[in-house]
Amino acid sequence: MKRTKRIGSAALVGALFAASAWVVAQAQSQAQTQVQDAPAGDAGNGKRIYLAVGCFTCHGRSGQGGALTGPAPILASTAMPFDGFKGQIRDPSNDMPAYSDAVLSDKDIGDIYAYVKSLPGARSPKDIPILNN
Amino acid sequence: MSKRRSADSSRRNFLKSAGLAGAAAAMVPPGTANAVPAAPQTRKAAIPGPRQVAAETLAPAADPVNQTSSGGDFMVDVFNSLGIEYLAINCASSYRGLHEAVVNHGNNKPEIITCVHEDIAVHLAQGYAKMSGRPMAMACHGVVGLQHAAMAIYNSWCDRVPVIVLGGNIMEADKRAPGAEWAHSGVDIGQLVREFTKWDDQPASLQHFAESTVRAYKIATTPPMGPVFIALDAELQENPIANSKSLRIPKFEPVTPPQGDSGAIAAAAKMLVEAQNPLIICDRMARTPAGMANLVQLAETLQCGVIDNVGRMNFPSRHPLNQSFRRGLIGQADVILAIEMNDLWGTLTHFSDRIVRQSRPNTKPDAKIITLGVRDLYLKSNYQDFGRWQDVDLDIAGDGEASLPALTEAVKRLIDSSRKDAFSVRGQKLAKLHTAMVEQSKTDATIGWDSSPITTARMCAEVYNQIKDEDWSLVGTAIRLTWPHRLWDFKKPNQWNGVSGGGGVGYNLPASIGAALANKKRGGFTVAFGGDGDFMFNPGALWTAAHHKIPILYVVHNNRAYHQEYMFLVAMAARHGRGVERMDIGTTIKDPNIDYATIARGMGVHGEGPITDPKDLAPALARAVAAVKSGEPAVVDVVTDPR
Repeated sequence: MKRTKRIGSAALVGALFAASAWVVAQAQSQAQTQVQDAPAGDAGNGKRIYLAVGCFTCHGRSGQGGALTGPAPILASTAMPFDGFKGQIRDPSNDMPAYSDAVLSDKDIGDIYAYVKSLPGARSPKDIPILNN
Repeated sequence: MSKRRSADSSRRNFLKSAGLAGAAAAMVPPGTANAVPAAPQTRKAAIPGPRQVAAETLAPAADPVNQTSSGGDFMVDVFNSLGIEYLAINCASSYRGLHEAVVNHGNNKPEIITCVHEDIAVHLAQGYAKMSGRPMAMACHGVVGLQHAAMAIYNSWCDRVPVIVLGGNIMEADKRAPGAEWAHSGVDIGQLVREFTKWDDQPASLQHFAESTVRAYKIATTPPMGPVFIALDAELQENPIANSKSLRIPKFEPVTPPQGDSGAIAAAAKMLVEAQNPLIICDRMARTPAGMANLVQLAETLQCGVIDNVGRMNFPSRHPLNQSFRRGLIGQADVILAIEMNDLWGTLTHFSDRIVRQSRPNTKPDAKIITLGVRDLYLKSNYQDFGRWQDVDLDIAGDGEASLPALTEAVKRLIDSSRKDAFSVRGQKLAKLHTAMVEQSKTDATIGWDSSPITTARMCAEVYNQIKDEDWSLVGTAIRLTWPHRLWDFKKPNQWNGVSGGGGVGYNLPASIGAALANKKRGGFTVAFGGDGDFMFNPGALWTAAHHKIPILYVVHNNRAYHQEYMFLVAMAARHGRGVERMDIGTTIKDPNIDYATIARGMGVHGEGPITDPKDLAPALARAVAAVKSGEPAVVDVVTDPR
């Protein structure tokens, strides 16, 4: 007896939605002005936590973004202010899991923030010939 | 799976039947002219052969051991009359009569495609049908083989793809040998798949078989298409034909797909022409190569955006009106034309997977929705693939592809010069947005370009770079792997083959090989992506590709997890505020890591990888492409980031 996994019969369709919303979210985050109140996080520890608690599962190890049931925005070199970043983790506005302080301390979030800020963002695709096919 | 291996002498007792004994040797071989009895031949003074002499001079044998005809031969003639090219099988005793007849009477026509699992055979047929436009038959063992096949049949059902499924059975209880033949027989074996096939039957005679098979073929290929099932009684397959002169194969004439009502088409055209922001959404629209051209013509006539849910190769990815990654258009549209949609409600609704599941429409409150399609003309009750109810304003029952030319002409008749100018402005605006969308995709693809594990964007870009100058078809993709549609230039009708339909895992590898089988004849280059989890459901499909020399480049998107489930489990743990670091338990495929290239090589398939350094990817792909171009299947195992 074979089993079927709960992947949703329209997984690719959902991904099309997600990718389009992801583009919008990225544009919005880049348009926001960075505030200066972010804690001085430990990017190395942030990477460890980012991988351990599952951030990478939706946002990618390089912070390139992705999708679950909705968009998982690009986090590499995010321009999102820390307060907004933390607020999204604690009380997300979409289907992102809410991480309470029982599983993720404020310091953890600060370290994760420092890590994703340190990730290289997008380059010009013109520098990569095979992206211009 | 236990098969009907233990030959029971009683199985041979069918020839004890009165009237058949002895006459078997003199039986007219069926079927060489579609089983229509040939005119009596004038025999000149030929010297009787020993069998004829025996038949004419000896008393009927009580327990004959030879026969000169079989029902299986006639069945093969029926399949060949329908032009069925291939029969995918995992061999089994309950259809040994048919199997032998295909090989010897049909001279392996339909050509047998040997599969190591029934799920592979059905999925292979599903992928083949979408690429070739023609159904393939598959045969499986009664009961247990059909149980193996069931999930794949369900995928085909949900995908609205025709597959001719045949299952052996021994209808008469007194003809079953002790043991497995009882466990592998049923009163009504089609019951198992009846809720997800369009039609089924268990013929009780050869004439009944012929009529039901032609009927099944017609039903399967009439939109909305779907799989059908025919139970093959073993006695019917194996026994001599008792009444060959009365047998005939019915004439098959395909149904002309129905066009939408002319009044409704005119009403739709008026709504679309008068709209400020019309939008076309489609899913399984293109049935034939003409489908894409028809849709392009309508979109260009209206100069409106098209959102393609990519259930088929509906619309060119680089067409300026393609807005598939700009779903915000749905909320701006005042008239939406939804063509052959699988899940219209899901497309027009934002659904939230939170503790309290909620939904809200993505559409404007006063948006008018027109549907055109045949999907809802044939539904069943138990399995809920029909999705949630969607209110619409004009519901046109008609095949999308067949109805588009009439709709386009109706639209053209309503366009005056002022509308034409407005349409042109709209089209130019959409073209700019399309260009921006493509450029944004390219920019996004650069993030993590040199990372290891390799990003899925880089994997897809590297593959495209290797195959872009071939006559390529992408016939599979991993879950939510949208990079090909964001980065590649899809412009030919055969360049995309849709997805599984039902979401049943195990589709991608065998269905891709089925599509590659269809492409092989025309010399096309077949490429597919597939997840590692999906791969491990049916890795044996690779052996079929090697055995039948089916060229395909299969790229394993190896994120070493059932990644969607990993994400869901993280969400569950976060919801409960506990254990978010332990969600790899039961969701990952590591310790040990699976070496897919070695698996491939073990089945006679060219294998590359595992590739972890992005710099190694292009050379590995180049070697694999060369293997495929020489006629081999090839697997490239790419260790990737999750998505």
